[in-house]
Amino acid sequence: MNVESHREGTNLVLKAEGRVDGTNATEFQDAMKSEIVDSDRAVILDLENLTYISSAGLRVVLLIAKDLQRQGAKMAACTLSEPVKEVFVISGFDKIIPIHDSQDAAIGSIS
Amino acid sequence: MPEAFKILVVDDEPDLEPLVLQRMRRRIRSGQYSFVFAQNGVEALDRLREEENIDMVISDINMPQMDGLTLLEQIPKVDPNVRSIIISAYGDMKNIRTAMNRGAFDFVTKPLDFDDLQITIDRTLAHLVEWREALSSRDRLVSLENELNVASKIQQSILPTQFPYGNDFSVFASMEPAKEVGGDFYDVINLGRGRIGLAIADVSDKGVPAALFMMSSRTLLKGSAIGNYEPGDVLKEVNDLLCEGNDAMMFVTLLYAIYDTNTGTLTYANGGHTAPYVRRADGSVIPLAFTGGVAMGVMEDLEYSQDSFQVAPGDTVFFYSDGVSEAMNENGEEFGVERMAEVLANTPAGSPEEVNNVMFESVRAFAGETPQSDDITCLTLCRS
Repeated sequence: MNVESHREGTNLVLKAEGRVDGTNATEFQDAMKSEIVDSDRAVILDLENLTYISSAGLRVVLLIAKDLQRQGAKMAACTLSEPVKEVFVISGFDKIIPIHDSQDAAIGSIS
Repeated sequence: MPEAFKILVVDDEPDLEPLVLQRMRRRIRSGQYSFVFAQNGVEALDRLREEENIDMVISDINMPQMDGLTLLEQIPKVDPNVRSIIISAYGDMKNIRTAMNRGAFDFVTKPLDFDDLQITIDRTLAHLVEWREALSSRDRLVSLENELNVASKIQQSILPTQFPYGNDFSVFASMEPAKEVGGDFYDVINLGRGRIGLAIADVSDKGVPAALFMMSSRTLLKGSAIGNYEPGDVLKEVNDLLCEGNDAMMFVTLLYAIYDTNTGTLTYANGGHTAPYVRRADGSVIPLAFTGGVAMGVMEDLEYSQDSFQVAPGDTVFFYSDGVSEAMNENGEEFGVERMAEVLANTPAGSPEEVNNVMFESVRAFAGETPQSDDITCLTLCRS
C-alpha cells in the first residue's frame, strides 16, 4: 500500500496503490491524513491502482470523509479498479463518496 | 513518588553496613534506595523470604555457612525476578565467571569503589524496571487473548442453532469463525403468522470493537424486526440507531428478508450486503435483484428500498457473507461468486443443511492450507 499526493490548483489528489486490509488500514489512514491540511476544500481519491480494499479500509475512507466534512470539504473518488468499484457499489458507499470515471470529472463535481 | 528500590547487601564483614549507609545516604534520603543487610547466604535467603519486595541483592563471595556463589543458585528459587550483583576480589576471573554463569547480573570488585557501585546498581535497577514492564506486557497480551476468546465464544453463542421448518420449507444457517474474532452474524426470527425474519450481516474490521458492534446490531435488528413487517423500515430504524455516537465509523452490511411461509414470498431490503443467490428447480442460478442500500451505521436518515421474490417449490435461496466469495487459495486467488454459483447449481435442492455443508466443504477444499482470514457465514432457505 502506498499513498502519493499532488495538488491540482486548490484540489488535493490522493493516489492510493496496492492492497488495503485490516493489517495496514491504520497505516493507510495515517498516510492520507498526513497529506490533508485544514484549508483543503476538495479531495479526490484516485483509486486506479488500488487493487483491493477490505471493510477495514472502507472504514478508514469513511473516517477521512467525515473529517473532511467537518472542515467543510468534499471528497470524491475516481478511476476505481473493477474489484474496488464493486465493493463501493455493493456497500452503497458510492452514495456517500461519489465515484467518477476520470480525475477531471471528479474534480469538476466537487470543486 | 514510586517506592524505594529495596537492596539486600550480604557480607560477613560488619564494617560494610555503616559504610554503605553512609556513602549511599543521598539516595536513601531521596527515597530512591533502601537497604537491608545479611551476614551470609543463609541469612540472606531468610531475608528474601521475610521481606517480600526485595529488588536486588549485592553479595560478597567468601562467607561462612553459605557462600555467595551458592546463594546465587538459591535466589531464583525464592524469587526469580530478583537481580544480583556479586562483589569479588580484583582479577578473580574464575569466580566472576562462575557467578555470571549462575545468573549474576553484574559484578563489582574489591576494594569497593562506591561511585562504580552506584552506577552498577542504577543499571541493574533500570534493567529490572524494563524486565517488569516486559512481564506486564506479556500478562496483558495473555489477558487480551483471553478476552478475544471470550468475545468469540459470545459471538458464537448468540447465533441460533435451531431453525424453523414447515411442510414445504426449511432453513439452516451456520458460521465458521476466522481465528481472529470477527463480526459476521445471522439470525432467524419467528415473527408469527407464518412469517420468518432472515438476516445475514458482516461488521467492518475485526477484533473486540467489531464483536461489540455486531452484538448491538444484532440486538437492534431483533428488536426492530419484531415490531415491523417491512424489511425496508427495519433497516431504516436500525441504521438510525447505529449511527448514534458512531464516531469510529464502524459499519455493518446487513441483508434482512421476511419469508412468508403462507405465500412463499420473500421480501427483502439490503444495507450494503452481497445479494443472495437463488438456485431454481431447473438448476439455474441467479442473484436476487440489487436494491442498492447503504451499509449501516455511517449515515442517518437513509431510506432502504425493498424488493420481493416469489420462491417456487424446488428453489433454494442462499444468503452468504463475503468470507465465502473472498476465501483465498495458496495462489492468492479468490473462491469467487462464479465458483459459488457452480457449487449451488450442482447441489440438489431439498436440505438447507446439506447445501451449507457442501459450500463449506468446497471453500475448504479450495483454500487448502491457506488460513481462513474472515468469518464464513451461510444461511439457506429451501422450499419443496
